[in-house]
Formats: sequence, C-alpha cells, structure tokens
Amino acid sequence: MNSTRSLRLPPQVGQPSNTSAMMGDVLVALLPTTAMAVFFFGFRVLVLAAVSIGSCLLFEFLYRRLTGQSDTLRDLSACVTGLLLALSLPATAAYWVPILGAAFAIVVVKQFYGGLGKNFMNPALAGRMLLATFPVLMTNWSKPLDRLPLLGVDAVSAATPLSYLHAGTLPPQTPGQLFLGQQGGCMGEVSAVMLLLGGLYLILRRVISWRIPTAYLGTVALLALLLPPEGVGSMAWMTAQLLSGGLLLGAFFFATDPTTSPVTPRGQLMFGAGCGALTMLLRSFSSYPEGVGWAILTMNCCVWLLDRAGMPRRFGAGRFSVLREWLSRLRRNLEEIRFIKPNLHFTLIKGGKMPGEEHLDQIRAQAKALSCLGAVILATGLVIFGVHRFTDLDTARAETDAQQELLSQVMPQAAFSSEIPYRAVGALSIQAGYSEDNELVGYCVEIQAHGFGGVVTMEVGVDLDGRVTGVAVTDHKETSGVGTEAMTPAALRRYVGKSGTIRSSGANSVDAVSGATATSQAITAGVNRALAIVANLDLEGGDVSYVDGEV
Amino acid sequence: MRHFFFGGVNPAPHKESTRRKPIARMERQPSQVVIPLVMSTGEAATPAVKPGDRVAIGQPIALGQGLSASAHASVSGRVVAIEERPHPWGGVCEAILLENDGRNTPWSGRPEPLDPTQVTRELLLARVREAGITGMGGGAYSTAEKLRQAAGRVDTLIVNAAECEPYITADHRLLLERSDKILQGAQTLARALGAQRAVLVTEGDKLNAAEAVERRLRKRSGKVELCTIGTRYPLGAEKQVVQTVTGREVPPGGTPLEVKCVVLNVATVFAIQESLFRGKALTHRTVTVTGGAVARPRNLWVPIGTPLRCLLEEAGGLREKADLILTGGPMMGTPQPDLEVPVIKSTNGLLCLTGQERRPADQESVCIRCGKCVAACPMHLAPVFISQAVRQNELRKLPKLHPEDCMECGCCSYICPARIPLVELVRQAGQLLEKGGQAQ
Repeated sequence: MNSTRSLRLPPQVGQPSNTSAMMGDVLVALLPTTAMAVFFFGFRVLVLAAVSIGSCLLFEFLYRRLTGQSDTLRDLSACVTGLLLALSLPATAAYWVPILGAAFAIVVVKQFYGGLGKNFMNPALAGRMLLATFPVLMTNWSKPLDRLPLLGVDAVSAATPLSYLHAGTLPPQTPGQLFLGQQGGCMGEVSAVMLLLGGLYLILRRVISWRIPTAYLGTVALLALLLPPEGVGSMAWMTAQLLSGGLLLGAFFFATDPTTSPVTPRGQLMFGAGCGALTMLLRSFSSYPEGVGWAILTMNCCVWLLDRAGMPRRFGAGRFSVLREWLSRLRRNLEEIRFIKPNLHFTLIKGGKMPGEEHLDQIRAQAKALSCLGAVILATGLVIFGVHRFTDLDTARAETDAQQELLSQVMPQAAFSSEIPYRAVGALSIQAGYSEDNELVGYCVEIQAHGFGGVVTMEVGVDLDGRVTGVAVTDHKETSGVGTEAMTPAALRRYVGKSGTIRSSGANSVDAVSGATATSQAITAGVNRALAIVANLDLEGGDVSYVDGEV
Repeated sequence: MRHFFFGGVNPAPHKESTRRKPIARMERQPSQVVIPLVMSTGEAATPAVKPGDRVAIGQPIALGQGLSASAHASVSGRVVAIEERPHPWGGVCEAILLENDGRNTPWSGRPEPLDPTQVTRELLLARVREAGITGMGGGAYSTAEKLRQAAGRVDTLIVNAAECEPYITADHRLLLERSDKILQGAQTLARALGAQRAVLVTEGDKLNAAEAVERRLRKRSGKVELCTIGTRYPLGAEKQVVQTVTGREVPPGGTPLEVKCVVLNVATVFAIQESLFRGKALTHRTVTVTGGAVARPRNLWVPIGTPLRCLLEEAGGLREKADLILTGGPMMGTPQPDLEVPVIKSTNGLLCLTGQERRPADQESVCIRCGKCVAACPMHLAPVFISQAVRQNELRKLPKLHPEDCMECGCCSYICPARIPLVELVRQAGQLLEKGGQAQ
C-alpha cells in the first residue's frame, strides 16, 4: 500500500531550526545592543545600520546574479554581516564607510571564496579591519550620550577605555559604567550588559556553542589576572579588560561565526584560547590599543589546523591514543633511517653489475638529488644577485644611510628626520629633525652657495632656538688642499652655537680660514641663509621669504 | 562516580500520549499470525511443523541452530502454510502462517518452572535457547549466544531500560508493571553469569518506574543497582550505556564483552525470567502503538507474528492521514510501506507520524560548518568531514575518519541545520571504505 509515500531516510524527526533561523537568532541577539547604541549615539546608528545591511544585501544579490548563481538572500547571512559591520564602526563614520566595508566583506571575503560556508575569514570583521586601515575614519570615537546629528558630524575624538588600558592604567570609568556602556567606542561594543544578554540568548538557543566565548573570555580574564601592570589591582584590571573595547562583541558575535571557527569541540576551545591570548598580546604590545579584530582574523586563518588538532579521539581507542600512535609512527620512521655503507662483499658478477656497483648507483642517485638541490640554490642565488645588481634597492638604502649619517653630523640630538612638505626659496630641501621621543628638535636645511670653484652644497642644522647645531658640506668643486681647508670638521665646528647673522669679523663672527677665504665666505653665506630660512619658517606652510644678510 | 557519554541530542520525547497507558492485552485476537523464520541474526530457523498441524501457545514450530533462535507458536490453532511473506526488515522471508482458533491453549510440553536457587549457568543457557529469546531492544542478536560468550567473563550486567527513542514507552511500562520480575531476573542472571554488579539503567523521564523499582529493591535482599540518568538520546545504545555506567569504552568494532560488560534489554530480561520461572517461551511482547496519526495510542501485549494492521485497528485506527508508518522509534526505526508485515521479537513500537511531526522537508542547504554534528556524535566521529570526503570523492581521507564506527543513531542528521543527510553519507563512506579494503 501507499508505495508513493516518500521513504525518507532515518531519522524521521529533526530539530526545527535551520540556517536562516539561526541567522535570524543572531539578528535578534543583536537587537539589545543596537537599541543601546541608538540610545547612546542617536538615530544616526539606525541609518548607518540600514545602509550597511542594505549594501550587503545589494552586493550579495548583484554578485550572485551576475555570476549566475542561486539567490542566497533568504539565508539572512548577508543581513548578519551587514549589522555586525555597522555595529563595529564608530558612530561618527560617514555613510559611504559601511558601503565600502560591505563591498569588501561580501564580494572579496565571502563570495570570491564560494559564498556562505566557504569563506575562511569572518566577512564583517575583515570589512571592518580593512576600514581600520584608514586611520582617520576609525579613531573618531564620539562620547556616549552625545547624540549625533544625522548629517554633518564633526570629527570629535573621545578617549576610549582602551587607550588607558594600552597605556597601562585603569580607565576613568567605574566598572558599573563600563558594564552599562558609558564608554567611547564602536556603536556595538559600548554596552557590555546588552552584549552579554545577546550572547546568552545565542548560547541558550544553541545557535552558538559555549566553548568559544568561554575559552576566549576565560583566557583574557586569566591573563589579565596574572599579569596586571604595576600599581593596578589584578581584579580591577581583569574587569576593565573584560568590559572594555570590542572583546564581548568579538567573543560572542565575531569569533563564534560558524563558518570561520573550528567544527571540532576541542578545536573550538583551542580557537577561543588562541583568540584570548592574541588579544591580550596585541592590546599590550601592539601600536593599536585594540587587538580583538586582528586576533580573531589571525585565528580564522588557523582554523584548518585547529580542526585537525581537535579531531575527537576515536571512541574506544583509549586516552592519548593519538599521541601514542604518533609516537609509535615516529619510532618506526626513525628505525627506517639507515646510514649508507658501502656494500663490500664481493660476489660474482650478477646481472651485469660489478661488485660495489650498487653502492655507486646509490651515490649516483644521491648526487642526482643533490644536483637538483644545487641547481635550485644556484638559480635562487642568481636571482638574488641580479636583483641586487640591477635594481637600485642598494642605492636607495645607501642614500638613506648617508642621510642618517649627515643628520648625525649636523644635528646630533636628532634621532631621525623627515621631509616637511613646504619649501623655501634658495633651500634645496628642509628636513625636520625629531628626537627619539618623537619631539621636534630642529630643521636641517640643504642649501647652496657660490664658492671659489663653483657651487658649494651644504647641510645646515638649526635648532628651535635658531642656533646652528652643525654644518656639513655635501658637494663642492673647491681646490683640494686649499679650499677644502675651510671644510675640515674643525673649521665647520666653529659655526656651532652661532645664531642670527654671522659676520666675517667682529662680534658674532667666524673668521675665514686663511687661504680659503672665498670658500669660507660661501659657507658662512650658506649658514646665514639657512638661519634666515628657519627663522622665517611659517609653520602653517607656504613659501618662505628671506632677506639675504650681509656677507 | 558518575560517567558521561559524549554528544547526543535531545529530541522532543512525545511520550505523554502512552506513558500512562497500562500494557493491555489485545481485545480482538488476530485471526492469523505470520511467524517469519528469520527473527534474529544468523541463519533462518528450520520449520518443525507442516501445514495442517495443530499447535498450541509456546510450542516450538521452527528450530534455530547456532546464532539463530527458535520460533514458537504465539497463538493456538492450525498451521495454514509455510510461504514467503514480507518481512519488517525489508524484502520477503519464509514464514509460518498460523490460523488462530481463539482458545489460547497453552502447550502441554512446556518445561517445568525452576526454583530460583537451583538456576545454574548450564540450565540458564539451555532454557534461554529453548525459549528462543533474542535481543528485544532492536539488535535481535541471539540471547543464548550472548550469554554463552558472557558467562564467567563479565563483571557487570547492565539491564538497559533507557529507551531513549522518542514516542516509545513499551520498556517503560514493562519496567513499571513487572519491576519485581525484572529484578528477580537480573539477580538470577548476574549470579549465573558470575557478574559482581547488576545495574538497571533508566532515564530521568521514567521516574515513576524508577520509584517502583526502588520500592521493590528495598524489600529484596539481593542487590541490583538502579542508575537513573538524565534523558539524552542515544543513552540506550549499547556502547553508550556501558560508557555511562562503567566509564569504559568499547574498543572499535568490539562488543561490550571486551570491557567485561553484558548489556541486556529490560524486555529480554523479563523474557528470560518468564522462561526460567514460568517455563514460558518468548511468544508475546509489548509494543507501543503511537504517533500523531493514531486515534488511541496505547501499549499492547501482542502475540509475535501479529500483522501491524491488527495493532493499528486495536489502537482505533488512524485519526488522520499518516505521512509515514514505521516500526521502532523515529530516530532509528524502519519505514514500513506494507502493514501486513508481522510484529517480530525486536519490534518495540509501531509509529504513525503525521507530516507535521516529521523532519521539516526544507531543501538541503550548504554546510555552514557549525560543527553541531561533531558535537552531537556519540561515537566521536566528524560527520561534516566524512560527508565532505564522500561528496568530493576523496577516498584517501576516509580511513582516518573511521566511518565504520558509525552506529547510525541519526544524531548528526537530526541536529544539522542545513538538513544534509549525514547518516546516509556516513553509511556510504563506510561502504566505500569496505569496497576499497576488498580491492586491495
């Protein structure tokens, strides 16, 4: 009877959820966070979220349509990407920012790899971290409860708790304030309580497993507890680390993305722990205050490895069976290793081979393999040599070195210099010199003056008080042994400390070196010109005018 | 010390409709029963009667040898024919057709009841073989053979009343109503097999049965441990129940004997007790007739060989159109397109599911690597990788993934949000691996 009745394979019952329901649950779990962001930053949040979700959906639709693939808007994964991308932006972001992020996230990170389930990096996070490489975009954190207008946001910059943590001090907010969300930061990361609420919802609905968030937050808490900076209580430090920045958003919503996290339970634990350790490492030692994004993206790239390492132990195979098997395999492999020794017993010629021939064959085979290796090494060497010889990489490096050498001559207190973007008439270039603490200490002016035999090019260092810190001649056509007498280090050192206009005699003077009067005068003129240029340097930029002093 | 098994799922139990219904005898006896010659693993039994012979209840009508078990008449009457009939395991099988005379005459030649103190190992094995008892939880392995292998080699006897399949309540009701006999059976078995521990395992959704057992235990002198475990499918699977009770893991491809355990279904223990102390052969069993499409779901005491159609009539027929009828539970049960197939010794339920109750018929979607199948697999497999390897035809990856360990409990398919038929793919992987092994 009823042979038409469909005979589906067991099991005949199934849990009611499916992929789009799971994605819908993620959206629901993000609602409290979004609502809190609207409360803190105003309705601009909603517009940004709408732009982000809309552009994600649009890019997904366009890509699938243009490449002739099935329509995947219904699985809601693009909506999740869009909302997460929006929530990880600062509320001051311009409206084109999420569009750019969505294009990168959906097209490059997700669809180029085959769409949902195939990408190896979290699309929303990758999009956000791409945007983070525009530094101006992503550092304008507005203060919470500072409602933003829908259009025309001024660039304001409030310090986030993380900038304090990065500096090794506790943020000014109390834990309660951090918990509720009165901190600067991305739209979605400010309110810890709402993120916890959403995360718990996801765990209870079995959308995400508890393993990744627990391992992640646990590792961060443990590291913060064990290694607080000096003068900070470990409990307070741990609370501040857990509640500030994007940690909770990352732990509950970014790290748990099913596609880009391991499938094996042990792999998930390792993934969470790795994210936690990397986050703390980046927060403490990188130049950015926040490390959650890079930590998760880095671990995303290790998922294949964690999946292998976390494969469940075979049922009934006993504890440590994998390790035992690996060790026994290692032992077998070690036993396989045989040292080649010549086969020295002489027998009658068999099969046309001379005694010892087999050993020679072995050596020949090895020589063949070694010659392949040698060829590769040779080819690589040639390429390196060619690159070295025929490109100007070395020249460039030599130039940088010479520049540094010159700097140490003319401005010993500066650690490095950089060109400043404005020019002065008569100066070939002006470099600003900075101390190791990144403070401006003076300017180096490259300048030319006419000497006895032609143009003398020199570098003059002038500090902020208008005093000469050093002079170096870089190019000249003076007579060797005569004109060059004026360029000896001793002769040049006489200019150090002078300011104003240097004369050839009288007060504030540097005497001409006898026999090299023209050269000396040229150098003095150059130094004077450099002093004048620096004195008139208009910090707002633009051309500098100067009056040639008396020579 | 409590132990756990890894993985598992929590399907909706759906046991409310029958868990309060006592086991009832059939009001209308089946007019004809069909007793297949194959009801256990091993070869078919040899018929011992010919058409026209008169038989009485408990009379052996087919004799088993080796691994196969004997079959007995479950009604009194006349042998009509010995012919091929559809079998619940699929296909057709030689079966003995008995016409019921409705008089329920017991067989005069049945063995004498034994005194509990005089049961020896040899006597036990002989009685169990004579009574044709097989595993009644679904495995259908000859119990006599299992006990013969286990005798003297095990330290733990596990009586499995977990019944983790949704809908089915046959073992639950049996444990509740016959707890004394089951405990007596368990004690006798443990003594005869030389097992130090006898553990009765039941799940948290059978608290009333557990309570009944506990009350009886207080009165009895011998000791049987009662172990009530939180409901989770598939606790009732042999390897999982051993792991939960003793913490030992059965090695791959092995049986519980290798870790000194023997697992018997509660209905099997009851049948053994009946055969020892009442001289009865295995002729009847409890069957739960349930499902959303059944008018009056109930637990029935059914002669083996009764066609499923009679069971359904006894339960008031179908209330609405059944989308699927199967024997056993919804997780591992076998779909039965033909209602003329008989109840056999391992049939514990007749389930008529409506379309709503069945797995949502969504389209299969892409795997999002959520890892739920790995977290749900009680055999520590990674169905996601096995299915990928099968679909991408990467056979060299299969040996390390051990698809042959799969017991087809269905947890992975149940939990998969993308509705990928993982059980089927893992089964294919096992077959491919076997083929590959033969080719080498």
